[in-house]
Amino acid sequence: MAAAACGGEAAAAARALCAFSPRDRRFFAISSSDGRLRVWETANSRLQHEYVPSAHLSAACTCLAWAPPGGRPPPSKDGPQRKKRKSEVAEVDKQLDILAVGTAVGSILLYSTVKGELQSKLDGGHDNRVNCVRWHQDNCCLYSCSEDKHIVEWNAQTCKVKCMVDVDFEIMLINTVFSISSSFSLCTKNLHPNSSKWKGDNSSVTSLCISPDGKMLLSAGRTIKLWDLETKEVYRHFTGHATSVSSLMFTTVKPMNENKPFDGITGLYFLSGAIHDRLLSVWQIRSDRKEKNAVMSFTVTDEPTFIDLTVSEVKEEPVKLAVVCRDGQLHLFEHILNGYCKKPLTSNCTIQIATPGNDGDSTPKPVPILAAAFCADKQSLLLVYGNTLQPIIEKVSLNTTESHICLIRDIQKVLSLKTDVALTKVKTPVVNSDTKVLVPGIPGHSTAVKTPSSGKEKKKNKRKPGEAEESIEERLEALDIDVSKVKTPGGLPQTDSFAVLLVQGLESNDAEILNRVLNTRKENVIKNTVARMPIHAVIPLLHELTKRLQGNPYSASLMVRWLKSVFTLHASYLSTLPDLIPQLGMLYQLMESRVKTLQKLSRLHGRLFILVTQVAASETVQDVAEVNQTAKLVYEDDSSEEEGSDDEMIADKDSDENWDEDEEKEEQSDEQDMTVEKEINGDSDLEPENESEEE
Amino acid sequence: MVAPAALRVVRCGGSTLHGARAVFSADSKYLLCASGDFVKMYSVATEETLRLMGGHADLVTGVQLNPHNHMQLYSSSLDGSIKLWDFMDGIPIKTFTVGSKLLALYALASSEDSVFVVIPKSGERDTFQLVSVKLTKAAGQDLEARELSVVLDGVDASPKCIAFGREVYSPFGGEYVASVKEVNLQVYFFKQKQLNRFSVSAVKTKSGNNRFTCIACHPTEDCIATGHADGKIRLWRNFHHKKEYTFSTLHWHHDTVMDLAFSMEGTNLLSGGVESVLVLWHNESDCERDFLPRLGSAIEYISMSSDGTLCCTLHTDNRITIINSNLRFSKSIQGLIKSTDVKTGLVVDPRTKALVLNGEPGHLQFYCLQSDQQLFSLDIVQRQYIHQAGLNQADLVKVAFSAQGKWLATVEEREEVTDPELQLKLWFYDEETQSFKLNTRINMPHEDHITDMCFRDMDELEDDSLILVTAGRDCVFKVWVMVEDTDPEAQQSVSWSCDFVGSYHNYQATNCCFSEDGSLLAVSFEETVTVWDSVTWDLKCTFCHPPGKIRNICFGRLTCSKYLIGATDYGFLCCWNLLSCALEWSAHLNILVLQPDPLSEYIAAVSWLSKESSLFVFKPNEPRPIYIQRNLCKEKIQLAAFVPRDEPEMIGSEKYLWLRRSQLFFLTDTQELMTLSTKSLEERLTPSSKQLAVEESLPVTPFSLLLGKHRRQQSQEDIDLGKLVVRNKHEQDSPAVKELLHTPAHVLPSASFLCPIFINSLLISKENKSAEEVADEVEMESEKTEDDSDEERDVTEMEQEDTSPMELLGEITCKLSKSQERELRKIRKMDYSWISAF
Repeated sequence: MAAAACGGEAAAAARALCAFSPRDRRFFAISSSDGRLRVWETANSRLQHEYVPSAHLSAACTCLAWAPPGGRPPPSKDGPQRKKRKSEVAEVDKQLDILAVGTAVGSILLYSTVKGELQSKLDGGHDNRVNCVRWHQDNCCLYSCSEDKHIVEWNAQTCKVKCMVDVDFEIMLINTVFSISSSFSLCTKNLHPNSSKWKGDNSSVTSLCISPDGKMLLSAGRTIKLWDLETKEVYRHFTGHATSVSSLMFTTVKPMNENKPFDGITGLYFLSGAIHDRLLSVWQIRSDRKEKNAVMSFTVTDEPTFIDLTVSEVKEEPVKLAVVCRDGQLHLFEHILNGYCKKPLTSNCTIQIATPGNDGDSTPKPVPILAAAFCADKQSLLLVYGNTLQPIIEKVSLNTTESHICLIRDIQKVLSLKTDVALTKVKTPVVNSDTKVLVPGIPGHSTAVKTPSSGKEKKKNKRKPGEAEESIEERLEALDIDVSKVKTPGGLPQTDSFAVLLVQGLESNDAEILNRVLNTRKENVIKNTVARMPIHAVIPLLHELTKRLQGNPYSASLMVRWLKSVFTLHASYLSTLPDLIPQLGMLYQLMESRVKTLQKLSRLHGRLFILVTQVAASETVQDVAEVNQTAKLVYEDDSSEEEGSDDEMIADKDSDENWDEDEEKEEQSDEQDMTVEKEINGDSDLEPENESEEE
Repeated sequence: MVAPAALRVVRCGGSTLHGARAVFSADSKYLLCASGDFVKMYSVATEETLRLMGGHADLVTGVQLNPHNHMQLYSSSLDGSIKLWDFMDGIPIKTFTVGSKLLALYALASSEDSVFVVIPKSGERDTFQLVSVKLTKAAGQDLEARELSVVLDGVDASPKCIAFGREVYSPFGGEYVASVKEVNLQVYFFKQKQLNRFSVSAVKTKSGNNRFTCIACHPTEDCIATGHADGKIRLWRNFHHKKEYTFSTLHWHHDTVMDLAFSMEGTNLLSGGVESVLVLWHNESDCERDFLPRLGSAIEYISMSSDGTLCCTLHTDNRITIINSNLRFSKSIQGLIKSTDVKTGLVVDPRTKALVLNGEPGHLQFYCLQSDQQLFSLDIVQRQYIHQAGLNQADLVKVAFSAQGKWLATVEEREEVTDPELQLKLWFYDEETQSFKLNTRINMPHEDHITDMCFRDMDELEDDSLILVTAGRDCVFKVWVMVEDTDPEAQQSVSWSCDFVGSYHNYQATNCCFSEDGSLLAVSFEETVTVWDSVTWDLKCTFCHPPGKIRNICFGRLTCSKYLIGATDYGFLCCWNLLSCALEWSAHLNILVLQPDPLSEYIAAVSWLSKESSLFVFKPNEPRPIYIQRNLCKEKIQLAAFVPRDEPEMIGSEKYLWLRRSQLFFLTDTQELMTLSTKSLEERLTPSSKQLAVEESLPVTPFSLLLGKHRRQQSQEDIDLGKLVVRNKHEQDSPAVKELLHTPAHVLPSASFLCPIFINSLLISKENKSAEEVADEVEMESEKTEDDSDEERDVTEMEQEDTSPMELLGEITCKLSKSQERELRKIRKMDYSWISAF
């Protein structure tokens, strides 16, 4: 007896003290070990409210059950004035909001979750721990079973014991298990003198389940019994579990073979799980009373603590079963119930949850799943995991192709310390520093400027040979310059060493050197450096400048000076490059976005500026040459340099002509070319304005 | 309309909650407030709607508890009726028809059978008067209440501008009603029938003028608090005198004071305004104050519970906040948050199945349709919102979810003088932390307003080929794709970047949408619809139906995927065949909203014609609509959305097959959410009335047992005392006492002679008893209870003997308690001869 009592307790303990609200699974009630009853909203895992029973420490909660939706026929209180109304409000499908809570001392509390207060307390039925509470789906009856071996039928409306049957015949029954007639004759004794409760077992009754038609009741201690609710008589026995049964559930509402007339119970399957038992058994209620064993069984990894299933209504539809085990795993089964099956079935899919375990400790820790329920569409599953104080509820869509799913959830980050009812519903999404930021001008913000269509390329190709020659020349020159510069010792003027440094920096991509050079502010120094730098370094410099322009605006203002002098001094060279557009597209976009305001004015300003500088350059061309020459003459016999500068000037003029030609040609060509042309112009036009802005 | 089960338009959320001040029930467990045409009862503990009381035909403007029965509620409405409800059961008890619009309702404890309402003055526009309405006690449910008497003329229409003071008896003044309008305050004293007028000089400053906005009366003292538009609160005293009145000023609010409320004792004053800060002023002093900031939005009404433990604020965005007396948040009831403008449209989150739209400024609200409650609100902008008029602050304008809800794209916009400041943010749903995580932020994705945004909805290609398209008024549309990050330093593996920029003849891009299989993209440029190949981004074809710009476009689905539907603002609905590139059919309809059902080929179109909205549901392959509902509602319908049902609904009639997979929701201009329902009225009503009526049978706790006993005893004593005191007063004019008191001293006989007479007159002979005795009797009772225990028995016997003749006398109403009897007997037995010794 004592062992049985222990078994009952263990059975109750094995069950997670939690329940989903029926039908739409909007709420999840869970009783934590400190006796508090918490109701969570499943849609946003928010604590809806918390209830602490006054005797929560002495009379801990042992079982929970939500009342089914739609208790009794509605009272006809619709007055005639309701008929004419403009538009009525959509009634929220309010579920019946009563939660029945069984306690360890035998009382049952009815708690209204809508009002957030205790509605009534059912006393006087049990004198020991209540093991299971079940609501009748149609009438407002409540069934409870207890450690005290009784099953009590309550009228929830009046909160009175409706029927409590005492079955003292059990010992005799053991001898007469197979003689139904005799047990029926004995059944009359089952009724308690006051006909209010009945004894369900000779040990504690641990689980209950009401049949789909509401006329039968399954009860279980170790043996499962099927009771007729009207007569309170045992209809069937099912034996097979060695330990106390912790869960009972009907899996079908209709028998699978429709050819026989259905009496409401025959042919139905039900499921049972027991403590310390890794097998879930499925039983069938048959008209012939021969079959006493389970028709089939499901294996799980540990004893089941929470079971949910989708009831199949058609024959072809498989029963989906979600079993949460004590070890925190969830097993999903899908099976068409169809008679006897010898082999225990293994799960179709196992779901586990673990922490990522990447920061701090490297080992991922498992997160126990507390409960699971199928959503209304039967395609997704509500998972409850974490600890009982603050469970996390998540909707997971089912994907049964994989046999093992491990979900990685960082519950530490989700968890907050306080478990009060959250006051605001504001959620702040995560914004990290590793977010990619795209601002105008940065690649990816707009499409990369691609090389124009093939026709254009051909045109360019025509010019290519000549350019290629030029570029070879230039390369040679550049080599010369390099040589000359390498040759020169340290005591050089500022500008010269800057040019060397710059080239070195660009070649080695040394940020330090580049910073030193590019952060200079002196207009003259910049001009001279740009003038002296080898022609092949121009494009790398432009790329470097573009990169820096995308940075903070302060450095951009410095870079603009460099850009300006590069464009004034090397415009001719740049315009000869065949792949200029894709190379400088990004820079163009950047400029475009930066000088968006007063676009036309800045373009005009740019054109005028270039014109003026060209005129000035042509006037002072002698001077420049002189300066160069003197500078070269002082140190080395550097004819190549001289040539270079001359070349530049020639190229400049050439390019101007070319440009004009280009424009003419392009005007004839299609509009795409137009845009490209604009881009080329834009490059050279816009930088002065840019500078003026920053100033 | 033909089928027996006709579709009905049903409201499902979002009516304005701030039609009237909310009231707490007497036990502070429930909160009652007006919500559109209904009165809603909320549970304070759980924030759930318990009852919904409907019956008014127009907006409810006033909700007041019946001062004589705390389980009853008066509500007034613009439809001109006052209803009396039993709110615990949600049953209407009586309806009083007044006839004219009722703008505010006040119920006073002192006025037995009348309530006060504000009605427009007949014959004059914008003039209102406060009248008292006599509620007849006649039987029957529908009654006429025509007995009106004007109390005050020229009052403001707002219910906040009238307050009643001193409902309890006071030596001076007594009851009064105070009303404010513009810069005038008028106080009317009921007893004296005196009307005092005061006014403040109209001053216009930068922060607004100092006209009155609200008023509250002190519960116990003669003090009126008024709020002003410039943020000042004035406390008026001594207003019985026309000249010598005084007022003091409290100033914290920088903008209009929206409402004021005194605490129950009158020691504290609560005030709120557009700053969304609740200010608690202690003892009416300017420096002692407490604040509860960050209430979310402007406070419209403040109300206190009768026991003073709770207060509740109603906000302009339809939120109710319940606040503890120590200024701590307690609960917040939020349905559909009303935002200034729903720019984002109605979007369904595939993950939570919630409706997503603008909420608080800068937030996205996820609204649960099943429970009419906000699931949560997502702070997208993440900048503090400053509640001040005239500030341009960033707000969300566009939202799009990818098919599985894995990606969320948001566009926020801040209006600048020249150009709008735009940000496109792409959020990734991080399963590990169960929250959205910002992946890419794009500043200024377009140079002008973004007009439309959509994801390529392809379930199977979710991971790699997700495409987002944004259309802007800067004449381009941009295609954004996910790219693998090449930068090794970046922690993220993917980010978004622009793949293609398309334009068409420099027209503004107005709408964009992908075909069902994702192969085609339709972008409308003003009058033209262009169709692009989504792989090569080549322009495939264009459609045009002049005149009129394209307002909406959408592709057909399933069997109708070869059609493209467009609505123009010149009132045409066109359907183009993509295979033949020809116009299939067109209809002359002024379509405001075009919404395809994601799960079927049906398309819903809402038109606006001659002040009423109509709904047309059609399949693109046939020009005849499948379903037409004229006169959907009087308001303009702004947005619509199909929300997929969890399980397909069984619909009998073929006409409503289009509602099988999804449910259609609309949002009107007034931000009321409506839906169409096939269920009959009875079916819909049942769930709420089906609630299990569980009898309350709570066992008494030891404490409550003790308390209850004590209380019962006390109340018994109170009753006894009360009766005695009343009688005592009556006793005063007994001849002996009168004689004693009124005879001049010099003619009085000696004290020894008077005393017995006087004492005798004070004695209660069987039925009478003096107050003195009662007083010391109470004292003695407590002392003597212990030692009297043994006497008790014989006393009770005697008492039984005594009481029987008393009852025979019949006139005795008051039964004396045992101890009193005992006392009396003792006094009688006492020898008074000692008095004569004086």
